[in-house]
Amino acid sequence: MAHPYEELLSLDVARLAEKLRAREISPVELTEAYLDRIARTDEKIRAYITVTGDLARKSARKAEREIVAGKWRGPFHGVPIALKDLCYTKGIRTTGGSKILADFKPDHDSTVWSRLSRAGAILLGKLNLHEFAYGISSSNPHWGIVRNPYALDRIPGGSSGGSAAAIVSRSAAATIGTDTGGSIRIPATLCGCIGLKPTWSRVSRHGVLPLAYTLDHVGPITRTVRDAALMLGVIAGYDRNDSTSSRERVPDYTASLDAGIEGMRIGVIRELNDGLSDDVRRSFDAALAQLGSLGASVDEVSIASLPLAGMVNSVITLAEAIEIHEESMLTRAADYGTDVRRLLEAGMMANAVSYIRAQRARARIVADALGALEGRDVLVAPASAIPAPRIGEDRLLDSSGGAVDGVAAILRFTSPFDVTGQPALAIPTGLSGEGLPLAMQIIGRPFDEARVLRVAAAYENARGAIPPPPAL
Amino acid sequence: MPLLTPETVRQVLHDMWGYDVAGDDAERIANMAGALATGARHLSSLGLAGIEPPFGYPMLIADAARLAAEKR
Repeated sequence: MAHPYEELLSLDVARLAEKLRAREISPVELTEAYLDRIARTDEKIRAYITVTGDLARKSARKAEREIVAGKWRGPFHGVPIALKDLCYTKGIRTTGGSKILADFKPDHDSTVWSRLSRAGAILLGKLNLHEFAYGISSSNPHWGIVRNPYALDRIPGGSSGGSAAAIVSRSAAATIGTDTGGSIRIPATLCGCIGLKPTWSRVSRHGVLPLAYTLDHVGPITRTVRDAALMLGVIAGYDRNDSTSSRERVPDYTASLDAGIEGMRIGVIRELNDGLSDDVRRSFDAALAQLGSLGASVDEVSIASLPLAGMVNSVITLAEAIEIHEESMLTRAADYGTDVRRLLEAGMMANAVSYIRAQRARARIVADALGALEGRDVLVAPASAIPAPRIGEDRLLDSSGGAVDGVAAILRFTSPFDVTGQPALAIPTGLSGEGLPLAMQIIGRPFDEARVLRVAAAYENARGAIPPPPAL
Repeated sequence: MPLLTPETVRQVLHDMWGYDVAGDDAERIANMAGALATGARHLSSLGLAGIEPPFGYPMLIADAARLAAEKR
C-alpha cells in the first residue's frame, strides 16, 4: 500500500513552492513526511550523517507561521533540504565525512546555508560523502557506505554521494554538493538526477571545508532543471567573506527556461566522445538526436588540450589538499581512510614546479574551451563512460573485455571543467540495460549558467521522466 | 620520466615531513607521484610562454581588505 506521503515526496521544489504558498500543504506536514521517509529508508541508503529532526520541526513551525501571515520568502520557504557535510552549520556537527572532524561544531554558518536559511529552507540534516570530498565512491569508512538507490550494490558516485542519493531516494527535496573533479556531476549522473556545477566563484565557498582552493565549486543537486535554477538563484552572488567570489550580476535563472533551443548551436566535444560503454554510447547518441529534433544544430568540435586537463586537476588537487591536511596528516594519519590517506601521502611528494606549471596550463585549456564555444551556445559530452560500478569494484571490463580503471572512466569526463571553471550540468539521458542511470553534461561559457539551464530544460521536457528506482 | 622508487618516497617523506609510510603504500605513491611529475613536465608542450599563474594581485588585496575589516 502506498504511504500517505508518497505524492508529497515526489514533488519538485517548484511544485512544492506553489502548494506551500497556496497553503494547500503545510511546512510542518511536509517536514514530517521527509523525516518519516529518512527514518524508513536511510538505514539502507546511508545518505545522512546527521539528521536535524528537532531543528527541522522548529523551523517548519516558524515557516508555517510566516506563510500563514502572508510573509512568503520565496520558492524555498518551508522546503526541506539537506547539505553535504562539508558545509558549516553553526552548532551542528560538520564532519567532512571524516573521523578527524567527528565532533567539530562550527561557530558560524557557511554562506550557502545562511542564504538558503534566509530564504526559508528547512534543514533536514547533513549528508554523507566521500571522506573530505577526496574520491568518487562515497564508500565512507567512518559513516557508512552510501548506496545507489537504483541498485544497492552500486556506488552512488561522489564525492557528494549522499546529496544525490537523498534526492533520488526522496529523502530531501533539494541538496547542496561540491565539485572539485566532478563531485556534483558524478553522483547526479550515477544516481539519475540533476547536478549543476556553476562557474568557479559564482557561489561563495565561505564555510565549506576545502579540498583544493582553486578548483572547489559549490552547487545544487536537484530533481529537475527548474529546481537547480531556483536554488542557484538563492545561493549565487558576491560574498564579502569569500574574496574569490564574483561580483558578476546574478540573473533570474528561471527566466528563459521555457524559451526552447530552436536555432541554437551545440558542439559535441570530440575528445570526450570515445571509449564509451555501449549503453552510454546509445543513450548519448539518442540525446544528441533529441537536441537536434528540438531545432538545435549539433556538430563536433575539438578542444585539443582537454586530454591534459585531468592531469592538471590531479596535480593541483594533490598539492592544495596536502597543504590543507598537513597538520592532521602529521598527527592523525591513522584516522584517515586508506584511499584518502594514500592520496594525501602522494601529495607530500608534490613539487612546486609541477603545481605552478599546472596552474599556468589552465589558461591554455580555458582558451581552447572558449574557442570551441565560438559560434556555439553550449558544448555537450557524456558525463561518464560507464554506469555506476559495484561497490568496491575498481577495475571494470569494457565492451571488448579489456580492463578499464573505473575512476578514470568517470573523472575523465568531469574534471576538465573544474580546471576551466565553466558551468557544467549533468542531466539523465535514460537507463542502461541493467536499469542504471546514464547522463550527459551541458557546458557553457563562464557565468552563462542561464543558457546551460535553458538547453537542459528543453531536453528534460522532451525526454520525459526516467523510470524511478525500485521501491526501498 | 622521473624514476621514483619506494625507497626514495620513504626517505623523502621521512626526512622532509617526519612521516613514515606504511607497507606497500610507498610503491603506490612512487607510481602516482612519478606519473604526475612526468605529466606536468609535458605541459610545457602546450606553449605556456607569457602565461601567469592565475592568482593575481587583486585577490591578494581583496583578502587583505577582508582580514583588515575583520580586525576592526
